Amino acid sequence: MQRIKIDPVTRLEGHGKIDIFVDDEGNVANCYFLVPELRGFEKFAQGRPVEEMPRITTRICGVCPEAHHMAAAKACDEVYDVQIPSTAKKLRELLYSIFFTADHTVHFYALGGPDFVVGPDAPKEMRNLIGVVKTVGLEAGKKVIKLRALAQEMIQTLGGKKIHQVTSLPGGVSKGLKEEERKKFAEYGKYFIEFGLFTLQIFEDIVLKNSTYVDLILSDTYTHKTYYMGMVDDNNKVNFYEGKVRVVDPEGYEFCKYSPGEYTEHISEHIEPWNYLKYPFLKKIGWKGFVDGKDSGIYRATPLSRLNASDGMNTPLAQEAYEKFYDTLTGDRSGSIPVHHTLATHWARVIELMYSAERMNELLNDEEITSDNIRVIPEKTPSEGIGIVEAPRGTLTHHYITDENGIVRQANLIVGTTNNHAAISMSIKKAAQGLIKKGVEITDGLLNKVEMAFRAYDPCFGCATHTLPGQMPIELNIRNLKGEIINSRKRNI
Amino acid sequence: MSKPKVAFFDFASCEGCQLNKLNLENSLLSILELVDIVEFREAMDDRADEYDIAFVEGSISTPTCVERIHDIRRRSKILVALGACAVQGGINALRNSQPAEWVKEVVYGDDKYLFPSIPVQPVSAVVKVDYEVRGCPMSTPEFLHILKSLILGRKPEIFDHAVCVECKSSENECVLETGMFCLGPVTRAGCGAVCPENGQYCSGCRGYVSNINTDGALEMLAENGLSRLEAVKRLRLFCSSELVELDGVK
Repeated sequence: MQRIKIDPVTRLEGHGKIDIFVDDEGNVANCYFLVPELRGFEKFAQGRPVEEMPRITTRICGVCPEAHHMAAAKACDEVYDVQIPSTAKKLRELLYSIFFTADHTVHFYALGGPDFVVGPDAPKEMRNLIGVVKTVGLEAGKKVIKLRALAQEMIQTLGGKKIHQVTSLPGGVSKGLKEEERKKFAEYGKYFIEFGLFTLQIFEDIVLKNSTYVDLILSDTYTHKTYYMGMVDDNNKVNFYEGKVRVVDPEGYEFCKYSPGEYTEHISEHIEPWNYLKYPFLKKIGWKGFVDGKDSGIYRATPLSRLNASDGMNTPLAQEAYEKFYDTLTGDRSGSIPVHHTLATHWARVIELMYSAERMNELLNDEEITSDNIRVIPEKTPSEGIGIVEAPRGTLTHHYITDENGIVRQANLIVGTTNNHAAISMSIKKAAQGLIKKGVEITDGLLNKVEMAFRAYDPCFGCATHTLPGQMPIELNIRNLKGEIINSRKRNI
Repeated sequence: MSKPKVAFFDFASCEGCQLNKLNLENSLLSILELVDIVEFREAMDDRADEYDIAFVEGSISTPTCVERIHDIRRRSKILVALGACAVQGGINALRNSQPAEWVKEVVYGDDKYLFPSIPVQPVSAVVKVDYEVRGCPMSTPEFLHILKSLILGRKPEIFDHAVCVECKSSENECVLETGMFCLGPVTRAGCGAVCPENGQYCSGCRGYVSNINTDGALEMLAENGLSRLEAVKRLRLFCSSELVELDGVK
């Protein structure tokens, strides 16, 4: 048996790597995907004051501190049983919408997008932001940099810091928005809309008009029929900041819809002996192993899942894009039939980018947003709270139980990527089985196609950041039965 | 004169410091004109390389990290620690307050022997650190200041006064007056008092002034109703390597 190892990162007490086992025939026997573990954080939260959580949990990740900041603040509101003022909620959602637009932009232009915009078989030097700029023009590069710079400026104003925000706290936010800031940001907002439309157009021109790419998206190698999870509002429209978590089955029928406080009734976590991380699954169906389908409790929580789990988007341009998405992929504009093609996640991400840009504009033009009624001082005895938001990479749950002094006794975090551990493992295995076969030379392009299976999930560990210069660091070793390396490839290590 | 060779290395961290460098935007291009960035990640198979300046972020948390940092030090003329994890151990070091075997068992279960781990330490606990850029994430103006000074062959200016100084000069209302506690009086400045500026208390992410009055700080926190244990927890959130005299407070 040969062993192919893809070992991208070591990060925060954790390990992210892919092991592909190849039998004597040269075919893929199995695939193991290991990602970093976050339980360290859950453990050292114990014994600390709960109000610190919005500022400690941001440090889990420098890529998406906003998501942890929000989930933690919402859980803290619950712990103190306090209803935050409407303006505070809007300010949090405004910060969050700006963050979502910027985060999805980085993924589309620098991380996942290059596979399509430049091409999966393109030389590796080209599969990055620079390659994207060369393909779609320098103007696009400038637009991306401008969007990111404006987003960072607004996040700094609203959150206090560009990375590791500090302004959300139990009961609301610590800082309001001034009218002159609102005016300036409303101007920026127009650019965000323009940018969203521009990105949808790029996707249309470069990906959808290229039948090779469309075939790749639709191919069986990158398809899994699973349950889908996403947060929705009262009308079952996508919402990133608040609402109920809705799960639909592989045929698109609602399986369950629960409030944050009920998550333990619906989600359970499976443990595999060979891996230290957990695999969440739908409790009422149960863990049936790494298989897809209606009888398996494996679900996905990604941009694609959010679209599948909802009945549409709350803003006009995003809704239009939503209808086109389903019309193209299932033939049913209403979106009631789920899309199972993992690579369509990239398209879904662009539609969400459009939505968050529009939502940000709605909030900036809401007159309540500059009110100074931004915080209620918590007065009740703290106990337990669960906060859920949609993070760019999936549903994010923070759960704290405290003593009567607000000291955390127990913390549980299910982070975006964790939801997808099982699905990512399946996707990699299927792609590897479809691509690595006896007599097939393991080339850089082939390795990239295996990687594409999990890059669609935008997994949030080292790769998301280490890839910013262009490429994920990967080590691939092919070993013989004695464990000796007979072939080795390294990239960006 | 040839451009100085600059390398970046990372250990256990959230990558926030690395992303913060991208937030330099326009300055980033000017930097690239002045230096040769020879490494953005580890290159163990290229041991012959030497660096004029090595920037290191993240904390040291495994035996492998110790080997790597020794190797990096050997090859570097100047070594700069970036951000709270590298400078003071950072948030990762909270792990040290829990029994090591228990943490490993909880995280890795029966396979705990596969993942050797040591108490989380700042870079300076293992090798000599020439300069520090503090903050969580690291402060970009300070990073630029140190980089520019080193390129020019000047000794960078090091902040060693309290956050209060910056907070007062911004004419903020004192956080302590609002009824919250604040670590501004003992925390090292350089951030522009960003948290008080945004209506929050300072949580001490930049570590402490070198002449900190620890007893005074504890007394101040006691006035805000924090027990000794709570006060110590607050003070050591980002700082495993500083205030070691508070080790073992129960």
